[in-house]
This record gives sequence, structure tokens and C-alpha cells, in this order.
Amino acid sequence: MNDDEVITAVREPRDKVHSHTSVDEIISRGHTVRARRRIPGAVTALAVVAAAGTALALGLAGVLGAAPARSTGTIRTMAFTLVKHANGTATLTINRNVLFEPGTLQRDLAGDGIRAMVTVGRFCSSDPAPAGWTKVMSFPGSPADPGPVRSVVINPATMPAGTELSFGNFRTANTSQTSVALINTRSYTCTSTAPTAPPPDGVMIG
Amino acid sequence: MRYVHVGTGHLDFSEFYRESKDACLFAVLVNVGDRDVAQDLVDEAFARAWASWRSVSRHPAPAAWVVRAALNASISRWRKRRREVPLPEPGKVAGLAAGQEAAGSPLDPQIMAALTRLLARQRQVVTMRLLLDLDTSRTAEVLGISPSAVKTHLARAIATLRSGLIPERQQEKSS
Repeated sequence: MNDDEVITAVREPRDKVHSHTSVDEIISRGHTVRARRRIPGAVTALAVVAAAGTALALGLAGVLGAAPARSTGTIRTMAFTLVKHANGTATLTINRNVLFEPGTLQRDLAGDGIRAMVTVGRFCSSDPAPAGWTKVMSFPGSPADPGPVRSVVINPATMPAGTELSFGNFRTANTSQTSVALINTRSYTCTSTAPTAPPPDGVMIG
Repeated sequence: MRYVHVGTGHLDFSEFYRESKDACLFAVLVNVGDRDVAQDLVDEAFARAWASWRSVSRHPAPAAWVVRAALNASISRWRKRRREVPLPEPGKVAGLAAGQEAAGSPLDPQIMAALTRLLARQRQVVTMRLLLDLDTSRTAEVLGISPSAVKTHLARAIATLRSGLIPERQQEKSS
């Protein structure tokens, strides 16, 4: 195989590749690009107005003694989706086809008031497990046969003091599973062996 | 041979797009491996080229500008998502770029596998020289390296490609 044959082999598929996007579509998208470039200035101005509005609202809240409103929101990444609800609970859905970065999930859970220890390739649990895990986590199906499930609803208000949730993610051949349990923050053991069934006092997402 | 604008005169964007869109898509596809991702990257890069056409049209090789913009955007996306690693799905061919499936792709999996073995700079040179048909001096200008470096990278890239293609082509002939 000489150089020309190699070059021909690399170039050969070119004629099979065609872009079907019209120039009008590109120009339309180009208008969006131009508009995006103008946004930073507008955002700065809006941010100043918003900051002033927030300061005013906080001041009024202090004067009137209003209760702080619970914020809601959705954090959506390739690996997981975390939806915070107005009642303080949060729904966590994990994409089993994507490995997540443990620090990211732990930080986002903490942002929703959920104390958690997130690990990959390791699962930590307490024996005995703290009571009340069924109040902390709810999911489709029975707590006696809990999984694997696709998502769990977590209620941080029901987590007893001195506890946190343990998330242990394990990658298998083509997927991943995450075991979740309520643990005592000062008394737990960890294993690097992937659980084959949901923990007795928890759930498996996967 | 496919014609791609490399001139510096006043270039009409529509004309430039019509003549270079397929070559740019192919060049990006070879680098990212996934047809849909490549299409989106190229469309966005062309949109950016249109938005800055006054300066891009004066670029020594506007098509190269588009391809580099698309590949830079690809790297930015990858950096944002690098902490989340998609698991390989059954049926994907080992060694192929993410998203490149053996079946249903216009690209030969053997060639794709050989290209993914190239060093980044070698693949850039192959992209400019072989896929966009830029000459050595223009490639050197676009990549900011010397013409002799372009020749060296291209020679090594072709040697690597040959070593990757020969065994598999020979297997095809013997079977």
C-alpha cells in the first residue's frame, strides 16, 4: 500500500457525506449567534436591576417578618437529574448509562439540604441502620422489595440528626447501579464489593 | 478533486457555504466520529462564520476556520462533560471515537479506527491537507507551525494510517 493508496482510502468516503442544512437555516442560526453576543451587556444591566430588587425584597421581608420562601429548581446533567420541590423534598433520577462525578452529585444534594456521602466503587452502610429510612426515601414499589428503581424522592426534613445518606455507585459491564442507604455519620463500614441486591435498609437505583 | 475556497478575495457567504459545507462536515466527522454531533458542530461554526463574515472571509482558508471553530467547540463540550463518562454500549467497535457505530455510518470503521490512532497534531494536519485540500504552506499558516513540520506530521500520519490499514485490508483479501 503506497502513500497515494493510503490518501485515497482516507479521502474515499468524502463523497458519501453531505450536509443537508440549507444556507437559510445557517443564516438564521447566525442571527442567533449575533444576538447571543449582545446578551452579556444586557445581562449585566439586568443583574444590576435584579440585585437591587432582591435587596429591596429582603429588606421588606425583614421588616414584615415574612417566612423565607423555599426555592425550587431542577439540576439536569448527563448523569442525573435532581428536582427540588416546593415542599422541601427532592426527586433524584440517575442515568445508569452515564458515570457520574461523585463530588458533583454530593454538592448538588447538599444544595438541596440533603446530607450525603457519594462514592464510586465503594458503598458504605451502618449496622444497625438508623431508624426511619422509609420516611427519608420514597420510591415506586414496596419498601420491602425496593428495587432497583429509576428514581427516589428524598425528604431531608425527616433525616434524623447524626445521619446522612450513603450513595455507592458501581459500574458493571454496560451499566451502573447506585445503592442508597441511611447511615450514622459516626458509625459505618464500607465495602468495595458491588451489592447484588438492594441494601436491607435502603434502595438501589439502576 | 473537491474544491474548497482558500482565497482571500471578497467571498460571498452563500457561495462559500455551498462549496465547502460537505468537505467541512466530513473533516469534522472524521475527528468527532458521530454524524449528528458533527452536523451540529459544523452548522454552529458556519453560523458563527456568517455572524463574523467580514473577518472570516479574509481568513487565508475560511473552510479551515470553520473546521477549527467546530473542533474547538467540540473540545469545549468535552471539557464540560469530561467528568461524566458515557458507558460503551453493546455493538460499539473498540477503538472508534465515541458515538461512531460500525453500522449505519458513512465512514469505513477501519479508516476511522486508523485515524483515531493518530496524534492530535497529525490528525489536524491530515484534516487540513487531505480532507480540506489545503497546500502545505496554507496548512502551516492555519495551524501556526512551519511547512517542514507539516510535511513531517503528514509523513508520520500516513505511515501510521498505512500500518493500521494494511493488516485489515489483507485480512479482507484473504477471507
